[in-house]
Amino acid sequence: MPLKTTNIVSAAQTKFGKLDGLTLREIFSEAVDKATVDAGVPKEDIQAAFIGTFIPEMLVHQGHTAPLLLDYAGLKGLPATRHEAACASGATALRAGIMAIESGIYDTVLVVGAEKMTSVSTNKATEALAAAADDTFESSIGLTFPGVFGIAAVSHMQKYGTTEEDMARVAVKAHKNASTNPLAQFQKEISLEKAMTPRYIAWPLKLFDCSPISDGAAAIVLTSAEKAKQYTDTPVRILGTGQASASMNLCGRKELTSFEASVAASKQAYDMAKLSPKDMDFAVVHDCFTIAEIIASEDIGFFKPGEGAKAVRDGVTALDGDKPINPMGGLKAVGHPVGATGVKQAVVIYKELIGEAGANQVQNHDTAIMHNFGGTGATCVVNVMRRADA
Amino acid sequence: MSDRPTIEEYRAKITNKQFQAYKCVGCGAVITPPSGTCYSCGNNEMDWTDVSGKGTLVSFTVIHIAPDEFVDEAPYYIAIIELEEGSRVTCRLEGFDPLKPEEVELGVPVSLTYITEGEKTYLAFKPT
Ligand SMILES: [Zn+2]
Repeated sequence: MPLKTTNIVSAAQTKFGKLDGLTLREIFSEAVDKATVDAGVPKEDIQAAFIGTFIPEMLVHQGHTAPLLLDYAGLKGLPATRHEAACASGATALRAGIMAIESGIYDTVLVVGAEKMTSVSTNKATEALAAAADDTFESSIGLTFPGVFGIAAVSHMQKYGTTEEDMARVAVKAHKNASTNPLAQFQKEISLEKAMTPRYIAWPLKLFDCSPISDGAAAIVLTSAEKAKQYTDTPVRILGTGQASASMNLCGRKELTSFEASVAASKQAYDMAKLSPKDMDFAVVHDCFTIAEIIASEDIGFFKPGEGAKAVRDGVTALDGDKPINPMGGLKAVGHPVGATGVKQAVVIYKELIGEAGANQVQNHDTAIMHNFGGTGATCVVNVMRRADA
Repeated sequence: MSDRPTIEEYRAKITNKQFQAYKCVGCGAVITPPSGTCYSCGNNEMDWTDVSGKGTLVSFTVIHIAPDEFVDEAPYYIAIIELEEGSRVTCRLEGFDPLKPEEVELGVPVSLTYITEGEKTYLAFKPT
């Protein structure tokens, strides 16, 4: 059965990028204010908060972030829990919020994702990110995150004929979409030639196949169907949600050209929503690396296995294509403050569905799917959303 | 020392160049890297087993930008190997030029070896 009552009534993100001079709590607080008081949702109405942060312990030497951040944002006293699932931290916080509303325990809750990554050196940030892979059996022999997706790319190239140029086209599309997104880290188009610059990070992945290190936060307010209209004329319903896990180790998976947790979570979300990929107008997927977007576009059922690269080549996933993917610019060009990403994806879907995406507005915008996955793909969360009046 | 195989011992066997895998006492499935529960039958009793050392190359990458600890070793291969016994390992590759990855074919037969870098010993495979 579709979810009964969960609605998004406001959603906002901060600028993503290197936010010099701002600490985690300040960035967090800005996103909260934009999604509450600035959007006509009084803070007094919020009854609980679900917060995604990945690894502030290593990035800003701070644990127990939920109450700390909530206090700074003027919400001291509320139940506040931090959710961690690597790059899917934000979406697991969102799922906890969804379950809280569906259970009837609360009418209105806040979901926030945030990360401050640039106050440490790039090497330190990379080391922190590596904690999302299996330290004992993979990181300890020198496998890196780009390496994980390099392995997936090699398998996809071998099995389906996907090329480095196909992956570069994903980066070109991301930068093109982000060029008109004022909150993106990179608001600049890049040429295919530039995307192909052979600065290898983990062969066959090059510099422009990788998402950047970023600071940023995103926040959304969830409420019941009963209360939704008191905040907005255009609430967005969450109809289906799915979550699955898989082996952290790549060697523990039979399939390297698809992420089994993505496939499983997508099926759960579609089944719950009683909808299928053909009902989706667009998607926001986890493009931590270009190959990840190609594989995700197949795993969510937009394209058959092996046909994701062709869809990019043919412009099907472009902003003006039949199945736009990452219409605001994705992680690749908007930035990837890890804990914020899953919530930011919901912000993008909300803005697109209600027709407030400006220059990045997709043409058909009734129903969409978001796909957020963590680390090596060991966690995946998928949500299906539809504008309440659609 | 525990009666059961442990992860510490598994890693020590690699360091000592005497690689062994876990074997499920219930169904005989060979398991790498260690797991507390058999993927095939759910049994949680494990024993050690030798492996033939033969396998095939499933996939790989070449790490160019490495974490501090591995900078001096870059560029280097990381590969997924399927052992003849059916389970897979993530390991290093030897005998392939890291600057010519386009020449490496997936599915080629490989055999077990070790790579030593300073005080570290890695499980590795090389072309058979
Ligand atoms: Zn067994």
